Amino acid sequence: MSSVGTMQPVPDQVRADLLRPLLRTSWKFYSLVLILGAIVVAALAAWATQMTLGFGISGIRWPIYWGFYVTNFVFWIGISHAGTLISAILRLVNAGWRRPVTRCAEVITAFALMIGAMFPIIHLGRPWLAFWLFPYPSERMIWPNFRSPLVWDFFAINTYLTGSVLFLFLPMIPDFAVVRDRATGMRRRIYGALALGWRGTPTQWHRLETAMQIMAVAIIPVAVSVHTIVSFDFSMAPVPLWQSTIFGPYFVAGAIFSGIAGLIIAMALLRRFLHLERYLHPVHFQNLGKLLLMMALLWGYFVFNERLVTYYGNRVSDMQVFWRTQRLTFAPLYWTMVGCNFVLPLVIMGISRFRTITGCVIASIGVVIGMWLERFLIIVPALGHKYLPYSFGVYRPQPVEIVITIGTFAAMALLYVLFAKFVPIISMWELTAVQHPGPALIPPATAEHPLGETHA
Amino acid sequence: MKAIYGLYTEGTAAQRAVDHLRAAGVADTDITILSPEPREDLAFSHMHAPTYMWWFACLGGLIGCATAIALVYITETSWPLVVGGLPIVAWWPNLIIMFELTMLGAIAATVITLVVSGGLARTRQGIYDPEVSSGSILVGVERPALAAIAAYEQALSTTPGARIKKI
Amino acid sequence: MAHKWGMAADLDRCTGCGACVTACHAENNISTVGAEQAARGRAKHWIRVERYWEGEFPDVHMKFRPVMCQQCDNAPCEPVCPTYASHHTPDGLNAQVYNRCIGTRYCANACPYNVRFFDFFNPSWEKPLHLQLNPDVSLREVGVMEKCTFCVQRIKATAIQAEAENRQIKDGEIKPACVQTCPATALVFGDLNDPESDVSRLARSPRGSKLLEDLGTLPKVTYLSKQTQP
Repeated sequence: MSSVGTMQPVPDQVRADLLRPLLRTSWKFYSLVLILGAIVVAALAAWATQMTLGFGISGIRWPIYWGFYVTNFVFWIGISHAGTLISAILRLVNAGWRRPVTRCAEVITAFALMIGAMFPIIHLGRPWLAFWLFPYPSERMIWPNFRSPLVWDFFAINTYLTGSVLFLFLPMIPDFAVVRDRATGMRRRIYGALALGWRGTPTQWHRLETAMQIMAVAIIPVAVSVHTIVSFDFSMAPVPLWQSTIFGPYFVAGAIFSGIAGLIIAMALLRRFLHLERYLHPVHFQNLGKLLLMMALLWGYFVFNERLVTYYGNRVSDMQVFWRTQRLTFAPLYWTMVGCNFVLPLVIMGISRFRTITGCVIASIGVVIGMWLERFLIIVPALGHKYLPYSFGVYRPQPVEIVITIGTFAAMALLYVLFAKFVPIISMWELTAVQHPGPALIPPATAEHPLGETHA
Repeated sequence: MKAIYGLYTEGTAAQRAVDHLRAAGVADTDITILSPEPREDLAFSHMHAPTYMWWFACLGGLIGCATAIALVYITETSWPLVVGGLPIVAWWPNLIIMFELTMLGAIAATVITLVVSGGLARTRQGIYDPEVSSGSILVGVERPALAAIAAYEQALSTTPGARIKKI
Repeated sequence: MAHKWGMAADLDRCTGCGACVTACHAENNISTVGAEQAARGRAKHWIRVERYWEGEFPDVHMKFRPVMCQQCDNAPCEPVCPTYASHHTPDGLNAQVYNRCIGTRYCANACPYNVRFFDFFNPSWEKPLHLQLNPDVSLREVGVMEKCTFCVQRIKATAIQAEAENRQIKDGEIKPACVQTCPATALVFGDLNDPESDVSRLARSPRGSKLLEDLGTLPKVTYLSKQTQP
């Protein structure tokens, strides 16, 4: 049953609805940008203070040398896996319900990656030298150490960022052409430049769709590799509970998990504030909710695997960190994480009565909190409790770290709001194209369905 | 005259116009068709030449892979630094760099092929009408021969209410 | 033959006095950070005396062990540095190149001995202590990692002198600051590639063991265990 096709508004309505945010601005937009902008400016000021006064104003200490910043890094790179799953995987399996959702998801990917990629620079002791990670013939005659996981991070994140931005930009070209034709003056010139002279010949459409296919195929392994390589930042160091071979798949699953949650929240907000009820239906949220449920189960599976193997091995240093998270200092955070990541999504998404849009959003907020805690609980308890008890320590986050963390959430919201103001947040041509599916998508007529049914 | 074209709101009407233009002797490559979304259900959507984009993507990937191998090997051997007992040219970690640059090459090649073969970002474009982005399909002939204009106009007027424009 | 510098620490002789810590600070221009920052874990003791209490009163024992960079042959801190600031030299030392360090602190996380320290602030010395700085050792600015170097400045100085005099380095000629200062001569420094050197003989001692040996880091400091009372 095509739930999307039967309720589809006519193309003119589609264009009118989706271009409205671009053409009309209310005071709510300006006040939102102002508030979010102020928080982002505060975060930037905090970072500038850290660079001027020295890294000592943060909570980092011997021996816990990674704290909030690396937590945020892994967290935001994780959120960025939303777009890849929705756009690329669902595009490849021809799931029609993805159409209104793809651009929302790809935007999250692009901006979450940009924010996440800031943190390897923010957490450096000498961030003004971050460009040394780039392989260029330097006068010092030295190149980056390709055996270091941080250099792998640099290559992986840059490849993923380039791929995601292009994956986001290419299908925006026909929509830019629509805006170009309706705008005047400077806006017409800017959108015209962005549209790259798009006309809409069959050749162009075919080339564009082929390019999207290739990008979808290419971006999935890149996304898997990115978060695996981020997990290598931990599994390559001989720290208790870090040297686990399960970290690669565990992190990728966690990333997709948090990405779906972020997407649900973004979609719910867009639906409410841009009045997209006609395009983002409860069935979209239900489908994403089912994916969230599946990823919650997968997350639970990986955590169980990791914990059981550690528990069974019963090594002294490993078990110390194990109990530290489950029973001692970090127990409140640990059990909150389990509740948010496992119990809450299972209850809300598992019972179909609760799988409403509100229910999905509540579960997603829980997952976002839980996944942030999970990153924190991987990093800090282990670093504070390595092998030599004399050097154990306790990490206390300081205002600069807290302000920057809050600032990244505000930055994400701000970038999203600005994007929705300048680009149609749902791909118009993909929505109108669904009403004219290609012959391959129409199954042959049978005795039961003489004309064949269109699969949206 | 730069072009003669018709604007159609129905896809089948546009297809009829294309068929009539072909009957009037216009070659496939001379018919300009512009649509606001891809129309896979109509025959004119499949009139384009096949694309070699997949091959170019693979070629881009190979170039990326070769670049990566050269980068890691040459830089690691130019100043051999021992780290943690690993070999100077350690292929397991180098594989990661090779993979990332391969994918980057494939992605870049895809985008470049799209821009070049789709005729994007060119200074001189063909005809265009803003009605296309509002939902109409444009079918026409650019630089028509003076003698054939009447025949083209008749071919394009197959649907009542079609808007014919000459520029 | 190339040198392979190593150390031995006799826990039977060590009294836990901490003179090695002070000497190291003096020799290597390590600034003190003040009581507040030290409580926040910012002290940079390249060599530290780890002290553990065992047992219940009145049968309390105190155990201590001087811990410095073990200059591991299979150092986990080396492959993770993105800029080659931490790498292995031909004479077996783990070198920390301050100029290359961008402060990712990955090396410190990877070090199982927690012997790597980060400069949280620019170092400062109250006058007139700035007159005491060692001109052979560079000052580290905020944001770089630092650690015990086996007093590489003394190793290099002796090597240059020996080469100028066209002779080999004698065993016991190089003394890092901690080795020089220890009143109980608990610390010994020398060439592990020379089977007759003091440090090689102590490395072969039946009392000898390595710290966290099971992690496979191949550390080059041999700890000689305390003789227990009969």
